[in-house]
Amino acid sequence: MFSYIAKRLAVAVPTLLLLIVLSFLLMHAAPGGPFTQERALPPQILANLEAKYGLDQPLWRQLASYVWGIVAHFDFGPSFIYKDRTVNEIIAQGFPVTLHYGTLSFLVAVLAGVSLGICAAIYHNSWLDYLAVGVSIGAQVLPNFVMAPILLLTFTYWLRWLPGGGWEDGQWPYLVMPVIALSTSFMASIARITRASMLEVLTSNHIRTARAKGLPERQVILRHALKPALLPVLSYLGPAFVTMITGSVVVDFYFSTGGIGKSFVDSALNRDYAVMLGITILVGALTILFNLVVDILYAWIDPKIRY
Amino acid sequence: MKTNLLLSTILSMSLAFPALAAQVQPGETLAENQEYTYWLLDAIKSMDPQINTDVEGSGIMRSLFEGLYNEDQNGGLVPGVATDYELSEDKTVYTFHLRDTAKWSNGDPVTAGDFVYAWKRLADPATASEYAWYMELMQVKNAAKIIAGEAPVDDLGVRAIDDHTFEVTIDAPLPYFPKMLTHSSVFPVHQKTIETLGDKWTEAGSLVGNGAYVLNEHILGEKVVMERNPLYWDDANTVITKATALTINDENAALTRYLSGELDRTQVPAGQYPRLKSEYPDEAISVPQSCSYIYMFNVDTAKGPAALQDIRVRKALSYAIDRDIIVNNILQGGQAPSYNWTHAATEGFQMPQIDYASWTQEERTAKAKELLAEAGYGPDNPLKLTLNYNTSEAHKKIAIAVQQFWKGVGVDLTLNNMEWKVHTDKMQNQDFEVARYAWCGDYNEASTYLDLFTSYSGHNNGKFFSERYDELMKQSKTAADPNPMYTEAEQILADEMPMAPIYQYTKVEMIKPDMRGLGLNNLMQNWYLKDMYRVAN
Repeated sequence: MFSYIAKRLAVAVPTLLLLIVLSFLLMHAAPGGPFTQERALPPQILANLEAKYGLDQPLWRQLASYVWGIVAHFDFGPSFIYKDRTVNEIIAQGFPVTLHYGTLSFLVAVLAGVSLGICAAIYHNSWLDYLAVGVSIGAQVLPNFVMAPILLLTFTYWLRWLPGGGWEDGQWPYLVMPVIALSTSFMASIARITRASMLEVLTSNHIRTARAKGLPERQVILRHALKPALLPVLSYLGPAFVTMITGSVVVDFYFSTGGIGKSFVDSALNRDYAVMLGITILVGALTILFNLVVDILYAWIDPKIRY
Repeated sequence: MKTNLLLSTILSMSLAFPALAAQVQPGETLAENQEYTYWLLDAIKSMDPQINTDVEGSGIMRSLFEGLYNEDQNGGLVPGVATDYELSEDKTVYTFHLRDTAKWSNGDPVTAGDFVYAWKRLADPATASEYAWYMELMQVKNAAKIIAGEAPVDDLGVRAIDDHTFEVTIDAPLPYFPKMLTHSSVFPVHQKTIETLGDKWTEAGSLVGNGAYVLNEHILGEKVVMERNPLYWDDANTVITKATALTINDENAALTRYLSGELDRTQVPAGQYPRLKSEYPDEAISVPQSCSYIYMFNVDTAKGPAALQDIRVRKALSYAIDRDIIVNNILQGGQAPSYNWTHAATEGFQMPQIDYASWTQEERTAKAKELLAEAGYGPDNPLKLTLNYNTSEAHKKIAIAVQQFWKGVGVDLTLNNMEWKVHTDKMQNQDFEVARYAWCGDYNEASTYLDLFTSYSGHNNGKFFSERYDELMKQSKTAADPNPMYTEAEQILADEMPMAPIYQYTKVEMIKPDMRGLGLNNLMQNWYLKDMYRVAN
């Protein structure tokens, strides 16, 4: 097991490096640069700026010094657009925010989604099943950029229950709408996967055996059906968790949470190379990490899986 | 140095009326609550006056710092740190007298040395300020050479005669030089703080400013909070106690929050003004703003399309656009249809008699067809062009409308929507045929617009060239009254049509009815927090 984890982590390093190189090259291939603007800068001023940020160097050297900065000093460089700040600072400010509302949304999505899925499977083809399926399809097809303004109109404008945005260190009134907006579609997917997988498990031999030996239905479900039914859900949850904790542009955009979801998109549009690479690396590293966590959990849930 | 006494007396007189901060009018009672919350479209990129490049950031700079002069409610100059100035006879040496009561927020006095430091810092290649060109535009002696790295920073034409006398030498007389002093890039900064803290000096709590407010909190993408600076020299006449700027990236979300009472001021999204005006007549406003929206033609002889080399074609394209439909049916925010380049309300600007401005649209369209036929285009040989525009709902709607107008005169227009950076990059490399463009004035004077179409301007993306035009703009720099030259230059643009003017901006906003002192009559839409106040209902 430990050698497996070590092996996976060893592979992660070249994977991340490849990610850095590819993102770096793609970014520089996009037309324009961080200082391209509607009012073209005079060549001399542009040269001064490029010299200050090292953009006058050949690409390979920029890449090398960037990677070296990370390896040697854990320094992801300065932002070319938010000039008072470094990438480390931007991530240090924005990531805790997205981690906070992302984790909460994840918990909500998993609890609600799994419960909904199980209920639908147990009461297969009953009104409860139709309701659960209806709700999850509804939640799935309602994109969050439609839901966010609807939430805002409902809770802020009409009911005046919740503040329309901001973060304020994550006090609960500021969390409600971001969490609803972010968790809904994930919840729907989780519910659908759980339902399908549960239905399959419920018809399998070991469940028939459990029922045949007279176990109460509650025990059959919780003890024997739930664990195997969760395996496909689990493989969905790894990447979903990363997506949620690295933020949502829509949430940041509509609710001014100040998370890194918006920073990521902005950095791409602004050609803020260092910020974009920094967040790409963060997302990449988290994806690798949580895929590994999922694989370890697999082995824990299903004794048949051995590494 | 012999100063022109008469001139300086006049200037001292004209600038001598009190620079009172909030000017509460007779009969007005101040409200108890003097907090103000307003909307920001995007995060503030920098709190450093020499680094900031944004209009939104400038508003905050004007609250945290103060330059030599400020603008009053109508955009006129009023003393800031300077009380008055003298101008040498050859009009190239300005001597500013600084008030001795001006203080930094840490208690240090504001001195001429602080201005010297800040101005040099703006020009210094090591600062790499994107606004370094502003110092060139002001024609401060040696600025261009310093920016190019050909002269040491200390050669800049600025010096502190004593702590309260700041002298600036410019290359040639520049009639609008004083107007340029209200720009945030020439605000003073506190040398010791910057040298001690480096790039971190702009953090809330560390930032030392000389404005009426101090930075209390700055959370990127969420908010900026400013509170009163009790050491500001005119604090006794400042009213607003606390200002909060909330970043809300979506203007509709911002409007919802305004209507829920969370904001005191926000922008009205395109097309919503008529509805809001009827529902909230006291709150929805539309006032002129110094920006001009155009379609630029690529007339570059090498890279532009051959058809656009023909003045008749360019004129026809401009004539065929029905600006009234664009402003009345698409934008609906009181914008003015435009037939020229300079914003019509620019101070001192006299509009030439532009013929097609007074025609009816039928006349314009008929003339457009006639011109295109003359140029050899018609049903058998339709003119095909491509329009580049950057992603935005309003740009798209206008582009579609123009496509229809031009179709009416037999022009096939392909719309090419692109991401903003790509659009800009293509424009700057003359890789376009027709492109959407907009320009906002840096100061309230026509040259801020007209300089753009000189052959030596870095912003002349369509590569328009007219010898006479260049000559006029060069002469205007030293003329006692440059306005007749501006009028002639504008006439050349109408005659040669290097772009199709479309509309001139208005600022369309929702503002709580108890807010005063916002400077809405100032065409530059520069507001000063220290001038604002709320009245009791």
